[in-house]
Amino acid sequence: MLHALIAAAGEPIEYGKAAGRAIALGFGAGGGAAGAGAGIGAVFNASIQSKTRQPELRAEVERDQWLGFALTEATFFYGLVGGFIAFFL
Amino acid sequence: MSAATAAPPITPQGAGAAPHEKQGMSTKRKIGWSIFGVWLGGIVVFGVLFGVTAHKAPDVANSVFSPTNEFKLDTWFKIGPIAFNKGVLYLLLTVGITLGVMIYIAKRLQQRPGRLQVAVESFYDLTRRLSRENLDENLERKYFPLIATIFVFILVSNLIGYIPLPVNSGEDFKIFGAHIPSLQIYAADTNVAFPLILALGVFVLFTYEGVKHHGPIGYVKSLMPGGVKGPIVGLIYPIEILSNFLRLISLTVRLWANLLAGHLLIAFMGGELGVLVGLQVVSWALLPFGVLIFLFEAVLIAGLQAFIFAILTAIYIGGAVESH
Repeated sequence: MLHALIAAAGEPIEYGKAAGRAIALGFGAGGGAAGAGAGIGAVFNASIQSKTRQPELRAEVERDQWLGFALTEATFFYGLVGGFIAFFL
Repeated sequence: MSAATAAPPITPQGAGAAPHEKQGMSTKRKIGWSIFGVWLGGIVVFGVLFGVTAHKAPDVANSVFSPTNEFKLDTWFKIGPIAFNKGVLYLLLTVGITLGVMIYIAKRLQQRPGRLQVAVESFYDLTRRLSRENLDENLERKYFPLIATIFVFILVSNLIGYIPLPVNSGEDFKIFGAHIPSLQIYAADTNVAFPLILALGVFVLFTYEGVKHHGPIGYVKSLMPGGVKGPIVGLIYPIEILSNFLRLISLTVRLWANLLAGHLLIAFMGGELGVLVGLQVVSWALLPFGVLIFLFEAVLIAGLQAFIFAILTAIYIGGAVESH
């Protein structure tokens, strides 16, 4: 049964490589998105808390919040770029 | 969408006023509902007209067409060793717009500023504040022009990346017999060379400032955070050295991948996914999300990335001359 399947697949090594690439892209993008999602949530959580506690610091907190947002968001792209490198190279 | 899906307003008259509710609908809500209706109706129309079974275009089925083709740089012509392609065109456009706007505003500063002058002055205030906060007085005088230039340059480069221009020389269409390259949104930042050269410049600058301030051996020592003693130094020091060089990669990849992924997402949501899976109804259904992502990228990400690059430049240069 298994032999018949492998024979039907033609080039099992090629298919395995393609599957590995697809897995790498999915894992890179998915893992990066999960991590960045948790991180961005933490950033906005802290920002909202400090803004409600000390509304007079709103401007400063918001500036730092956007800095933290952009730095955290970038980690998603590190995962994505790693996935792309595995997928296309 | 949120305005369209919100609950209808409750009228104080009670159940007797039910027929009046429809008339009381605000114009905004009417427009929202009708756009939503057109979108839903379009899904049905496309589903009926083209069917819900995939029929891919021959180029897609043979995988001749690839989503990454739009970022390929075709050499248009060469002047000496310099190959001219759309990335170079965008760079020249960016330089031209940045220089043009700044010189124009600087030459005719007015007591009662116009819109453009207000925008430029707000950039000035922003970069001035962030370089004051992160640099000492001498360095601030020296590097404020650089930080402001980096901010405006990246901002302009990002923003003209969202204007469709006829630069896609891979495909063309005809108007009155003339072959015109397809319209495309491309940004110089989607090529890794652009952010890499900016990040290299910043890296060389803050290393130079650090070496000048501490001396060569002192600078290498200053990479170590203060107050760390004992055998743990052997563990932490390699990580600090590594993180110093990772700044180069993180500066590059943050700008590059943000713009590349943004442009890919806009393309996918704006119809390419439907082409790839061979279903017209998918293209139509995803179109509103394409518009939303376009607005998100153009309004928030473009400015944010320029701001991040500028503030990190200031932080790195300021940190290099700091004594622990």
